[in-house]
Amino acid sequence: MANLFPHLLNGLSLGLLFALIALGFMLIVGVMELINLAHGSLFALGAYFALVIIAPDPAWLGPLGESYHALPLAARYALALLVAPVLVGVVGMGLELCMRRTYGKKAEYGLLLTFGAALVLEETIRVLWGPSEQYLQVPRSISGAFLFAGLIYSKYKLFAALFAAAAIALVWLFLERTPYGAIIKAGAHDSEMVRALGIDLTRLRLLVFGLGAGLAGLAGIVLTPIWGLRPHVGVDAVIPAFLIIVLGGIGSFWGAVLGGILVGVAVGLTGAYASGWSLLSMYLLLIVVVTVRARGLFGRKSVLEA
Amino acid sequence: MAAVPTVASPWVPRGMALLLAVMATLPLWVASIGLYQYLGVEIAIWMIYGLGFNLLLGYSGLPSFGHGAFFGVGAYAFGLFQAWAFESLLLGMALAAVAAFVAGAVVGCFLSHRRGIYFALMTIAFGQVFWFVAIKWHTVTGGEDGLLNIPRPALELGAASVPLNSNVALFYFVLFVLAVVAVALWRLVHSPFGKVLQAIRQNEERARFVGYNVWLFKWAVFALSAAIAGLAGSLFSMAQQSAYPDVMSLHASGVIVMMTLIGGGFVSFWGPVIGVAVYFLARDVLGAVTETWLLWFGLVFVLAVLFRPEGIAGAWQEYVGSVPSAGRRNRGTEAPASHIER
Repeated sequence: MANLFPHLLNGLSLGLLFALIALGFMLIVGVMELINLAHGSLFALGAYFALVIIAPDPAWLGPLGESYHALPLAARYALALLVAPVLVGVVGMGLELCMRRTYGKKAEYGLLLTFGAALVLEETIRVLWGPSEQYLQVPRSISGAFLFAGLIYSKYKLFAALFAAAAIALVWLFLERTPYGAIIKAGAHDSEMVRALGIDLTRLRLLVFGLGAGLAGLAGIVLTPIWGLRPHVGVDAVIPAFLIIVLGGIGSFWGAVLGGILVGVAVGLTGAYASGWSLLSMYLLLIVVVTVRARGLFGRKSVLEA
Repeated sequence: MAAVPTVASPWVPRGMALLLAVMATLPLWVASIGLYQYLGVEIAIWMIYGLGFNLLLGYSGLPSFGHGAFFGVGAYAFGLFQAWAFESLLLGMALAAVAAFVAGAVVGCFLSHRRGIYFALMTIAFGQVFWFVAIKWHTVTGGEDGLLNIPRPALELGAASVPLNSNVALFYFVLFVLAVVAVALWRLVHSPFGKVLQAIRQNEERARFVGYNVWLFKWAVFALSAAIAGLAGSLFSMAQQSAYPDVMSLHASGVIVMMTLIGGGFVSFWGPVIGVAVYFLARDVLGAVTETWLLWFGLVFVLAVLFRPEGIAGAWQEYVGSVPSAGRRNRGTEAPASHIER
C-alpha cells in the first residue's frame, strides 16, 4: 500500500487544480444557469496572455523593453498572475455582452453560442500565437524537484496545488464573507427576488461572468506549465470542469471543490494501475455518480432541468 | 398513437427530387468549377449523418454534443469487419449501423430521462468515453493512427459486381444511400412517431400527460439517430480508407451541431443538408483563400445563433413567406421556430 501514497498525493494536487478550473465554471452556472463551453478557451487565453506579459516582444515596449526584461523572472511571473486573469475577465465580460440576446430563450442557445465562442477564441489564438506548442516560463525558485521521504516531487506541482488551495479559499471568503458574495449567492438562489430588492441584475451577471472568466484564466496560467501550452489546450480544461460541476451538483461551491478532488484522486489512483487509461476514470466516475444521484453530490433542483 | 392526426405528404417531395437530381449531375461539372470528385463523396456522407442527427436536434429538441462517437463506432465496425471477417460491402455497412445502434441504445438508457443542458452534458461525457477508448485501445482500434488500409469492397448485385474504387463510383453509391435515408427519414418525421417527437420538443411534460411514454420515444430516436450516424461512418471509413479517432472528438461532434444549426435544422428537414453543403464549400473555397477559415466560420455560427437561430432554411422560409401566395395560409402568423413543416 505504501507505494500508493505518491499517487494519492499526486491525485490530490491534481484535484485541487481541477477544482480551481471548475470554480469559475461553477460561478457562471450557478448565477446565470449557463454552461460556458468557452471556459476552456478562456483558460488557454489566460496562459497566452501570461506568455506575453512574462516575455513580451521587445519591440512593443520601445525603450522600456530592455529594463522590463531585466526584471527578475519571478517579478514578471507575479505580474502575469495578477494582470492576465484581469484581461481574461475583460474578454469574458465582452462575451457576456454578446450572450444577452440569448437570455430568456432555451438554455441550448447559450450552449451553442459559447461553443461558437470557444471555436472563435481558439482560432484567434492560433492566428496570434501560432499552432505550435509553447512554454510558459516559471521562476527558478519553483521549478525543479525536491526529495521528501525518499521520493522525488516536482516543486512546481506543489506550488500549483498550494496556489490552487489558496485561490479556492479566497473565492470562498469572497462568497461567504463579503456583501458581494451574498448578492451572488442570492442571485443564484432566486434572481427574481434579488431584482425585486433593487439590485442591478444585469451588472451582477456581467461581473460574475468576468469573475468566472478571470478564474479560468488564472487556472490556465497555473496549469499550463504542467500540461504544456497549445491552442487547443482548452479542451483538456473545459471537459474536467463540466464533469466536476455535474458530479458535484450544479451551483454548489463545496460540490465543485469535492468533485474536483474526487476526480483528481480517481485519476491519480487509476494512474497507479493503468497510467494510459487514467483519464477514463473521471468519465466513469461521473456516469456512476450521476446514475445513482441524478443531481450530483450536492445538487438541488435547478432551472436547467426544465 | 393512432390518435395523432397525420398530414398527408408525398413520398418524394419536390425539393428532395431536385436535390438528388442536382447531386446526380455533380461528377459532370464539379471538376470544371475547380473542385474535385472526392468532395461530393464527403458532402453526401455528411448529409446522411446530418439528416440523422437532426432527428435529435431539430425534431426532438435533444442537443447531442457527442454524436461523433456513433459515427466513429460505425467507421471502426466497418473497418474491423473487413479486416477480421471477410470483405463485404453491404454486410459491413449493416454491421456498422447495428453496432452504432447498440452503442446508442446503451448510452440512451443513461440519457433518456434527461433533457436540456443535462442531456447535452451527459452526451459530451459519453462522447468523450468513446473517443478516449478509441485512442487508447491500440490492439483493436490502432490508437491515434486508427485503422489503415480499409478496402472499398465491390457492390455485389447478384451476378454483377460493381467496383467502387473510383471516387465517382463511390459517389453514386453514397448518393443512393443518401436517397434511401432521406426518403425513409422524410416518411418517419411525417409518421405518428415523428409527430410525437415534435410534441416532446415543444413540451415534454405535456406529451407525457397526454399519455406517451416519453422515455421510450427519446431512447428510440437516440438509438435510431446513432444507427444512421454509424451508417454514415461506415461510408466515411470506406471513402477515407481508414478510421481514426478524430471524428469522435468533441470538436468533430460540435461541427455537426454547427452544420445543422447554420443550415436551419430547427425549422426545416433540409437544414442539415444545406448546412453540410455550406460547411464543405466554405472549407474548400474560403480555405483556399485563408488559413483561418474556421475562425470566420465560427464567427458566422455565433452570429447565426444570436440573430438567426432558424438558419439559412429559416431565412429562406421567411423570404418565401413574405411573398403572398394562394397556397400558403397564415404562414406569417406562426411562430417561426414552433414546428418543422418542410
